[in-house]
Amino acid sequence: MTNVDIPADTEQRGAWPHRLAVLLVCATFPLIWVGGLVTTYDAGMAVPDWPSTYGYNLFLYPWQTWVSGPWDLFIEHGHRLLGATVGMLAIAAMVTIVWKDSRRWVKVLSVIALTAVCLQGVLGGQRVLWNNRQIAQLHGVFGPVCFCLFVSLAVVTSQWWRATGRTGDSLQIGNMSARGAVGATVLSGCALVQLILGSQLRHVMGGAGGAGFRVALLFHLVLAAVIFAQTVWLVAIHLAATSRDGVKSVALSLMFLVLLQVGLGLATWVLKYYWPAWAEGAWFARPFTIVNESMPQSLVVTGHVATGSLILAMSVKLALRSWRLCRPANINARPPLNVKGTTLTMGVAL
Amino acid sequence: MQRNINRFLWLLLPVLVATGCDAPEARFRMNMAYLHKNEKKAEAFTAEQKADVANILAALFGTPDQPHLPQGAGLEDVISIDRLKMAAGPVGVDEQGIATGLYRQHCSHCHGVSGDGNGPTAAYLNPYPRDYRMGIFKFKSTGKGTPPTHEDLLRILYEGVPGTAMPSFRLLPDIEREAIVDYVKYLAIRGQVERRLMEDIAIELGPGERLDQSGEYLVGEIVASAVAKWSAAEEEVTEVPARPDDWNESAAIARGRELFHGAVANCVKCHGETQLGDGQRTDYDEWSKDYEDFSKPMTDQEKQKLVDELVELGGLPPRNIFPRNLREGIYRGGRRPEELYRRITNGIDGTPMPAATMKPDDAPEQQQGLTAADVWCIVDYIRSLPYEPGGERATYGQEFKRERM
Repeated sequence: MTNVDIPADTEQRGAWPHRLAVLLVCATFPLIWVGGLVTTYDAGMAVPDWPSTYGYNLFLYPWQTWVSGPWDLFIEHGHRLLGATVGMLAIAAMVTIVWKDSRRWVKVLSVIALTAVCLQGVLGGQRVLWNNRQIAQLHGVFGPVCFCLFVSLAVVTSQWWRATGRTGDSLQIGNMSARGAVGATVLSGCALVQLILGSQLRHVMGGAGGAGFRVALLFHLVLAAVIFAQTVWLVAIHLAATSRDGVKSVALSLMFLVLLQVGLGLATWVLKYYWPAWAEGAWFARPFTIVNESMPQSLVVTGHVATGSLILAMSVKLALRSWRLCRPANINARPPLNVKGTTLTMGVAL
Repeated sequence: MQRNINRFLWLLLPVLVATGCDAPEARFRMNMAYLHKNEKKAEAFTAEQKADVANILAALFGTPDQPHLPQGAGLEDVISIDRLKMAAGPVGVDEQGIATGLYRQHCSHCHGVSGDGNGPTAAYLNPYPRDYRMGIFKFKSTGKGTPPTHEDLLRILYEGVPGTAMPSFRLLPDIEREAIVDYVKYLAIRGQVERRLMEDIAIELGPGERLDQSGEYLVGEIVASAVAKWSAAEEEVTEVPARPDDWNESAAIARGRELFHGAVANCVKCHGETQLGDGQRTDYDEWSKDYEDFSKPMTDQEKQKLVDELVELGGLPPRNIFPRNLREGIYRGGRRPEELYRRITNGIDGTPMPAATMKPDDAPEQQQGLTAADVWCIVDYIRSLPYEPGGERATYGQEFKRERM
């Protein structure tokens, strides 16, 4: 346990930047769900034009037609409306951060987040205009990246972030080593790659050979095991430390999400492709009939996609907080440095 | 650290290339396994002969994005061209907001664009998805060797195949299921024509000789002969007689048990004494035998060589077909009594399940065969098995398994 005085670098006026960033995150998660549903139901082309909806301005499309129309139209147009809402919230968040937050890098981050969400909207539009599944796949993977940017904004504008870096405070941050932060960063990278592989499995096309699917499936399974092991390791090192408020809880949440995701992944396979041959005859492998696009199938498959995004976002949050706790600026009196690397303490590696 | 990250990215690169750059062009794949099988019968096909097959098929049936039907063979009576176009092409909607590309959306990832049963996911499914190109379908109301009716295919789409990866599409609108059925028939007939062209090159033509390109031969003879069976399917539906009025179910089950184990029906040979499907388990279905009969005696090395050849030609490694475990209560072709009746009388096309030898109700006892009442007895017995004794389905089966071990 170390008592440190932390220099000022986080001047911020008011809570609105954080509130808006959190609102942005809260609006984006349902957007990812609905986007996932659009792919689950292959409803991406339910509205063949963009940015208009069947010739109407997006916001002026008759709501009666939208609500009472086909399910594909309902979720696709709903996805567009939610996307537009998130876009507007991103503008509001960016303006507020630029106005209220004095940190230049946070302002830049907010501009990057807004640019990303605009690009994401354009990708969604081009997917429709060109009826192109590769763009749909890119759109599906870039969505979680935007989500991570919003989560990053929420983390760096939070009270916790400010409290951790406030001038003159004597903050007890424990013996935070860089390896926890490096581990969380690598985990974020793995979670993103896992999403890319998952999207390849999800957007499988009949014309493709079996090799692409086989490679994607193999790496998806291997990476799932790697992510599981990484998360267990991160939880273990954080639980072993005496005081890491704000990191332990995130690590535990991440563990819960990874366990949930493993279950959802297995359920996704069974509800899409039935029990594998090796499970046939096992006590748990009860025979059943798969119902295409049924509610359980759609919820589980889309839930698997959405939880993947949540794992990515949570690992980014863990990485940001971990790096925050071992920033060199946090330390006035540096502890001894182990040059070999893995046991660097208090962030001197940064 | 930087070096480690660089290594990681280099390792990742082939993964991303292999998975992310797999942008497929939708086109029909030639049935290379069948072509090679025919080459073994005669001479190797010349490049011109192979090109002839591809060009003739394209001229007759079009492409996955723009299919069409050859005129003059009566195909328009079997397949609706409007519905065919609805199911074909990339996934989307037309100007009226009607869904298109239904086959690509719902079927091709397992059954493949060509209907060869070898889509990207096929290798992971058990059983493999159906290869339509032989024109053989398992669960139908018609006899062996006869294609299914339109209603049969619709029923499979509506109900799915329980206990397999084939889902029920009951949540799709009727018109979309109809369109998919038409597309499946289109792929089946196209596949049958392709096979016939290859057979003709191997059997009818001399080395290097080219196929007759006339409409009379291609449409009037080859396409028409494939279409004729599909057109006649509706009239080939097996009638299911009603059970006699004085039917006693307990007595029927007892009689069914006797027949099941008896020499005439001999169900026990494959479904086993335990009815767990643990009788004969070394045979293959017709799709696996199409390239080579793997049930023939051969050494492991010979078999492996043939399997490698087949996989190289775009096929899937053959798997043994196992008789149904009748104690699970899962019947892939439907559980209704009349469906089970037809499965016994017609057999299951493409599988070792034979059609029963039937005899008239008033035939003498000593005449070989089963009467309609006998078949009903077997149906009742089979339907009782999952609940015997006391409705304990799985437990009963497991008990048998343990005893056998």
